[in-house]
Amino acid sequence: MAETYPINIWINEERFKALQSAGLESLCKEELAGMKVLPVPCTAAQRDKILKLYPMAKFDAATTKSIELLPKQVKDKIFELIVARKKIDVMDEFIQNAEKG
Amino acid sequence: MEMIGHGGKPLVERVITDKAEAKKKIAGLKTLPASRQMATEAIGLAYGFFSPLEGFMKRADVETTCKKMELTDGTIWSIPIVFDISDEEIAKYGIKEGESVLLTYEGNPLAIFDIEEIFTYNKEEFAQDVYGTKEDKHPGVKRTYNYKDKFLGGKITLVNEPVVREPFTPYFLTPRQHREKFKEKNWIKIVAHQTRNVPHSGHEWLMKHAYIAAHGDSPVEQMETMGKSISGILVNCIVGEKRTGDYIDEAIVLTQDELRKAGYFREDIHMVSMTFWDMRYAGPREAVHHAIIRTNLGLTHHMFGRDHAGVGTYYHSYQAHHLLMSIPKEKLNITPIYVLEWAYCPHCGEVTCIGLCGHWNELQKFSGTKIRSIIMDEVKPTRLIFRPEVFDVVMECAKKYGFGSPFVTEEYLKKAKPAFSIPPL
Repeated sequence: MAETYPINIWINEERFKALQSAGLESLCKEELAGMKVLPVPCTAAQRDKILKLYPMAKFDAATTKSIELLPKQVKDKIFELIVARKKIDVMDEFIQNAEKG
Repeated sequence: MEMIGHGGKPLVERVITDKAEAKKKIAGLKTLPASRQMATEAIGLAYGFFSPLEGFMKRADVETTCKKMELTDGTIWSIPIVFDISDEEIAKYGIKEGESVLLTYEGNPLAIFDIEEIFTYNKEEFAQDVYGTKEDKHPGVKRTYNYKDKFLGGKITLVNEPVVREPFTPYFLTPRQHREKFKEKNWIKIVAHQTRNVPHSGHEWLMKHAYIAAHGDSPVEQMETMGKSISGILVNCIVGEKRTGDYIDEAIVLTQDELRKAGYFREDIHMVSMTFWDMRYAGPREAVHHAIIRTNLGLTHHMFGRDHAGVGTYYHSYQAHHLLMSIPKEKLNITPIYVLEWAYCPHCGEVTCIGLCGHWNELQKFSGTKIRSIIMDEVKPTRLIFRPEVFDVVMECAKKYGFGSPFVTEEYLKKAKPAFSIPPL
């Protein structure tokens, strides 16, 4: 399987309910002391586009190997798209929308 | 009473507090504007944070610091404290060896600088020796390469004390003031927790571990009764140049203090202060530097955890420990306390030291990045890993000081007021 560079979306109760309604709750994994995270996979090309679109974000190569420091509003939009499309593989569509502005 | 600092030498204090005397001393001096970093370090030098240094280093001290990690007199020293200047500035301000100038900051008098030497130093060698790399991706190396081409060495005398703004005001203490505070508290053993982080419970346990280790051979009665402890934890926050994505300094200082206010540490064993210093991310060498500063603050112990003051993958997780262990005890008058990571164990249902817990495969490690990610998503973490009171203070700081974010943003860098200013004399 190709390596992915995930965006980690932390899941609170509200987000968990939304995932349940989309039938995606099983994609969450327990990460720390019962806290759940939804890893949204990105390819290397998607990662590079995200880092270009949101220069404040960083790829943490040292510890988590994930895209970090994305503003909450950006993650909210990714999350909403996942719930609306009922699938996790939404990054191409998200990036296209973001590029259009 | 004479106070002894690093290297067994008297604590340096080169501050003229009498304004009339200061005005007389600076009359007629040429002026030289100082950058924020140079002003910060001039203040640090004058108050004795960098004792026994009395001023910016001359070439010989820079060289022995880089090559042998000591000053020319054999005192351990790990990071050069230098004042950089360009040829154009030397000409413009008429800087000459053997003369004194008035350093100014934001147009106001700051310190008298006795220019004893103007010199050059190979910046690549400097970087390689101090940071172990010449790569300018390393923030300390980048800082070194950004230095101008000449350096000025000589003594510093502060003539105008900084005014530290709120909410930092009560947390800025000089080395003398730190020692006076410890005396008031009757603390004999004081362990430093170096931080540039908002605390999660992994940090909290590191501090508790270090406190217990430092206090370990003292009678329990001195710990048992509220107000009687002879040992304390000093959380000394490093406040300095920020990078986007760092926690804002206000959040760091106020959340650390909240741990005590909310009762996670007893009132009589915990205290928060701050030191102005731009992190160099020099890993092991920076650990030694932190030990030197905390010796000057009057501390007896210093906790060193995983990847102390490191960045990226430049240093091994416990390289700082190994460098500190290589220094003869008589050369560093502070006892290092080496601590392993603490992690959450779902089997135990608690935060535990990874050196104690047998559920190796189940441990969930803390990571600064992970915690930042949780905070950034505004998802309230479980109290086992992040105290709710601390989370509330983080969010308050975001609103009050961070333009909506607890992390440094471009907006914060542009708009936040500096932590200190120099008033007109």
